[in-house]
Amino acid sequence: MRFRSSTGLATIVTAAALALTACGSGSGTTGGSTSSDGKVDGTGKTLNVLTGVLPQYPEQQKQWQADIAAKFKAQTGADVKFETFASANDELTRIQTSVVSGQGPDIYGLGTTFTPTAYATKAFVTLSDDDWKKVGGKDRFNQAALGISGPDKDHQAGIPFVSRPFVMAYNKDLLAAAGIDKPATSWDELAAQAKKMTKDGVYGIATGYKDNFDPWKFIWAMAVQAGNPLVDGNKLKMDDPTVKKAYQTYFGWLTNDKVVDPASVGWSNSNAVAAFASGKAGYLMMTTSSSVPTLSSSAVAGKFAYALMPTTPPGESSPKGDGGNAASILSGDNLVVADYSKQKDLAFAYIKLITSKDEQLNYQKTFGDLPANAEALASLTDPVLKPIADAAAKSKATPFTGAWGDIQLGLLNVTVQSIPDLSKGSIDESALETRIKDAQTKGQASLDRASKG
Amino acid sequence: MSTDASNEVRLAAESAASRTSRTTSSVTGPPAGEENGRRKGLSERNRPLWMLIPGGTLMLIIIVVPLILGIYMSTLNLDQYTLRRWISSPFIGVENFVEAVTSSPLLHAVWLSVSYSLLAMVVTLPLGIAAAVATQNAFKGRAVVRSIFLIPYVLPSFVVATVWRTMFQPDGIVDRGLGLVGIHTGLWLNGPQTFWTLVLVQIWASWPFIYLLALSGLQSVDHEVHEASALDGALWWNKLRYVIFPYLKGPLSLAFLIGMLHHINNFTLPYVLFGVPAPSDVEVLPILTYVTSFQSFRFGLSAAMAFISLVLIAIPLFVYLRAVKLDDAESPGAKK
Repeated sequence: MRFRSSTGLATIVTAAALALTACGSGSGTTGGSTSSDGKVDGTGKTLNVLTGVLPQYPEQQKQWQADIAAKFKAQTGADVKFETFASANDELTRIQTSVVSGQGPDIYGLGTTFTPTAYATKAFVTLSDDDWKKVGGKDRFNQAALGISGPDKDHQAGIPFVSRPFVMAYNKDLLAAAGIDKPATSWDELAAQAKKMTKDGVYGIATGYKDNFDPWKFIWAMAVQAGNPLVDGNKLKMDDPTVKKAYQTYFGWLTNDKVVDPASVGWSNSNAVAAFASGKAGYLMMTTSSSVPTLSSSAVAGKFAYALMPTTPPGESSPKGDGGNAASILSGDNLVVADYSKQKDLAFAYIKLITSKDEQLNYQKTFGDLPANAEALASLTDPVLKPIADAAAKSKATPFTGAWGDIQLGLLNVTVQSIPDLSKGSIDESALETRIKDAQTKGQASLDRASKG
Repeated sequence: MSTDASNEVRLAAESAASRTSRTTSSVTGPPAGEENGRRKGLSERNRPLWMLIPGGTLMLIIIVVPLILGIYMSTLNLDQYTLRRWISSPFIGVENFVEAVTSSPLLHAVWLSVSYSLLAMVVTLPLGIAAAVATQNAFKGRAVVRSIFLIPYVLPSFVVATVWRTMFQPDGIVDRGLGLVGIHTGLWLNGPQTFWTLVLVQIWASWPFIYLLALSGLQSVDHEVHEASALDGALWWNKLRYVIFPYLKGPLSLAFLIGMLHHINNFTLPYVLFGVPAPSDVEVLPILTYVTSFQSFRFGLSAAMAFISLVLIAIPLFVYLRAVKLDDAESPGAKK
């Protein structure tokens, strides 16, 4: 019977998990001993690693885990036990239980935008210079990828594992037919080009307004490029005119320029990919290298290419400040080592192995994510991947604050609540301002807590 | 076994057992006079109370302990910054409760949850009863019809929500279907209409539950009752109204209660249908609690919200239980 006797006490269930885990017996193992030549001896030990599940590649992921565990065993004598989580929520619950009980996985894989929140719990190792040496040195990583590893250069907990920068894809045939010789580099130019391509059931731009992530990334990018990093110290600057302009531009594709399919008010990113794959759109916005397999076996196979998304903000002629480097949010996965781990050296040795050039290239071939290892990234020669690799170097981190979750939610919420207007074909300016103001108030409150935290 | 608590349990079990013996006695005829007088059957003396231990222990672990922890959490300033030392995170008393009531959308969420649940219940009740009455008498293919009726009930919520979400897409199958007959509606998954989308899908998913309980009520109507009302010349409506419906009162009250609780607690349906952040017209209690916990990481605040909603539900539940004496149910339809 679908009947729960207690009310919606999701948090209380979490508390139960916490309590139960806290009661569980500890099985602490002592750390691997490090010999003078830097080799870690982990014979008889087991390293626990928690990473996200890759739903597109279930078999490959198992294979990769088995392979890497064998290599690690050969190097250190230790076993690796993998656990996976299906959603960020799962992961958070795991982190909560582990943080409170002081036991659990030694290494966690984290999405980049989740890293500040994880850092705020202070449950993970902030790497010392010595620690960085143990993972192969800071220099081995793409420096842009380190942008969201910690609040500043001296306090970094996240070790970059892969990059998943956002780019746009374009249909070469459609652009050529409209007399466009190269993809747009400013948002104004993008809208103008899109207008030229919109006719006969083909739209200039494919994007999903109902996606759970994309909308805030557009707003963030346009605002940053206009010189507003959204968070300035303890101040949230969402009520800045640049943010309103960004929303108006983003919504304007539908209401003013009419260059997106009206149905896209109900689309997520995957619907947009499908529209582009059927040859019905000139540009596909906000996509990653994970769209390569889909597009390569679609109607646009051989006709598409990737390019950096525009970096010149709406209504301007050039990016302001550091805006030129904000082609994408800094996106990908970081690895963090648990503070409670009793085998940190072994954990660092494992991270050293999987961030080595060869392993990173191997991972890229199997799963499509770009290497965080600088040398491996530079060695990619596939022309399809070239712009994506460029974007990895031109990615800018979202503000490093524990309040980011709330700010992101606020940015997204403005879109969610505006969709009815959007579908009617016009956005009421005062309603938009009210929604932005609401997001500003909530985000600022969250930032205030963060500064106290 | 002489503590107060065990005494209470014993008393409750005794009264339950005496009821059982009374009902059995009415069926099997008068028992021995002495036993009837003392109202304490043989079975009571050897009641295996120890059998409560496994269930009781589980209750304690999975309901009572988390509940107490949750209430404790609601008095802490527990968020991502204090999570690591959560037991010793700052105690702030009722501040979370004050914030939940005064400066969060909690009251709006309560209003939405209750009104949506009530609407869904009011519509599903007649639907379920009608379906149960229609399939009460045997006809060819009845088994098939009964099985089909149960499909919405056996499908997992997640599947139901995913399918409906696909159908409600802009320019999706619902829009096209309605467009064929000249009706053009707005968005289903965003904006004010979302509330009605949620009610509609909830009705679709939950009416078989009412149907099941109504059916069980109908089955308990004795054959003699049908015969008697036929002899008295009662027509179908009068028979339904005055003879059959009283039998349904018990099961349907139970269905109403369980259904309301289930709707108010339903997280999967709105979450999968509308995503997070939800449009403000469907930001129901479970969604709000979830967002506060897992998007804003305000665990203390969200525990306070959960506790408030627990109390809000418990009050009418308690009043209702006392009023209909569901805990004292004898036979369905019995006058109370």
